[in-house]
Amino acid sequence: MIGAFIDGPLWYFSLAVFVLGVTWRLASLWRLGSHPEFSKPREGSPGGGGLQTLARHFLPRREVVGRTPAQVYGGYAFHLGLFALLFWGAPHVEFYEERLLGFGWTPLPGWAFILACEIAFAGLIVVWLHRALHPVTRAISDRGDHAASILVFLVMLTGCLALGRSHESLRLIHLFSAELLLIYFPFSMLMHTFTFAVSRWRMGEHYGRRGVSI
Amino acid sequence: MRRRASMSLLAILAFVLLAPLVPYAVAYMGPGNNPNPGADLWREIRQREAPVAGTTQVESVESAILINKGGEDWRNFRMQQLVPIGAWVLGGMLVLLVAFYFFRGRIRIEGGRSGMVVERFSVAQRMVHWFVAGLFILLGVTGLVLLYGRFVLIPLLGPEGFGATASACKEAHNLFGPLFPFAVLAVFAYYVKGNSFRWRDVKWFANFGGLLKEGGHAGSGRYNGGQKVWFWLIVIFGLIISVSGYILVFPNFGQGRELMALAHLGHGIVAIFFITASLGHIYIGSVGMEGALEAMTTGEVDTNWAREHHDIWLEQMEADGQVRPARRSVGAVPKEGAADAG
Repeated sequence: MIGAFIDGPLWYFSLAVFVLGVTWRLASLWRLGSHPEFSKPREGSPGGGGLQTLARHFLPRREVVGRTPAQVYGGYAFHLGLFALLFWGAPHVEFYEERLLGFGWTPLPGWAFILACEIAFAGLIVVWLHRALHPVTRAISDRGDHAASILVFLVMLTGCLALGRSHESLRLIHLFSAELLLIYFPFSMLMHTFTFAVSRWRMGEHYGRRGVSI
Repeated sequence: MRRRASMSLLAILAFVLLAPLVPYAVAYMGPGNNPNPGADLWREIRQREAPVAGTTQVESVESAILINKGGEDWRNFRMQQLVPIGAWVLGGMLVLLVAFYFFRGRIRIEGGRSGMVVERFSVAQRMVHWFVAGLFILLGVTGLVLLYGRFVLIPLLGPEGFGATASACKEAHNLFGPLFPFAVLAVFAYYVKGNSFRWRDVKWFANFGGLLKEGGHAGSGRYNGGQKVWFWLIVIFGLIISVSGYILVFPNFGQGRELMALAHLGHGIVAIFFITASLGHIYIGSVGMEGALEAMTTGEVDTNWAREHHDIWLEQMEADGQVRPARRSVGAVPKEGAADAG
């Protein structure tokens, strides 16, 4: 019975909270608007600046890498690994096809999926350890930061435990933890998944209008 | 004429029916009075005298061997020696630690807190330590479930519950296991400096590290003899466990059953001793000694603690001006990439 609840009503509820919550957060950012620009536009395009900044800031600055290698390498490992396993892991592709989209795509081969999982786990553990042990990041981290890290780790861990696809209970535990994450997502720092693009674009647009490339 | 034809037909029929029984009759009357005419064939299949490989169209490692005799030897060793002896070793260590705690109690800082601290481990060293410790605990627990789960968990969870638990532990063990060698390499890189053995380590062992009685003291540099042994156990055990684990988790490189069985037994035996030794490390680093855990959480230790347990190292740090008051001043943030000078 609890399995039917997790597979049914709770899934739809968590999906609704996620979609509506993310939409509401992004809409509220859009409604904030921006302050009026009093300076003259220079040579350069705001749109071009936005696009350029969005793309260029996917690569770290050399000065940052030298100072915080653990955060840079660990962060990239975690995010790239998570992106790969979330969208190209065979169990997830099947899930999206059955429950969401009606169509699928070619997933990663098994060995690549496992490799992506391990890279993601290693990266997440490294960045969370850095957050907990470095005096600066420890001082600026609050409960929400730790909760987000732990919740994402739990979802990944329960997914790992269910990899064998041999017991329905393990799949349900993973789905349940993912549903909790979806409910928590719009109200947490995990919104950076979407807001990073808004933030970079706005900054690039602002400086692009001034003819400055950042 | 008709009579002759009938007799011939009867003779042919009798021959067709009785001829296949001749080998059985011969075997029945043969040496040893063996009633089973297939005994020779079965003996060859069971390979009691020598391994026999047949021929097959299946192209795979050892696919021509019908029955693997070595498998029974492996199973017997695992169930009759590895499992019970491993349980005694682990249980014995737990009993020893509990007894030591009741006998000695928690080892306090004799002079109390001094209010002055010295940095013992950098951020990078602590990150490496907790990375390998977290992996070790996860792999150790899942590994012990795989070895002992059927005896301990089936009575608690039932067969269905244990099935799901064991499946989960197997997946977790196989996924996180390949990360362990990298963690061991990182431990080697960040902790090898200062971990070579010296003559004073012999004196440290002779004094039992000064841990057996209150006020006991054994001089030590940055790492004492016990810590050096633990470091090299991590390196050696970690190497063996990593190599055997990779043989087991990636069976795609032509490993035969014998190699897999040897790797499995080596993995299990070393893991038992690794976990046993780690219990001592975990004990003394947490409950067993006041002031020890701070070295791995804040990175700093009280100077009185350092004087009692690593006096030679503290002298060097004092000479270098590395001692400071316990409350860290604003801006004194350690550079994360630097391993501590030993």
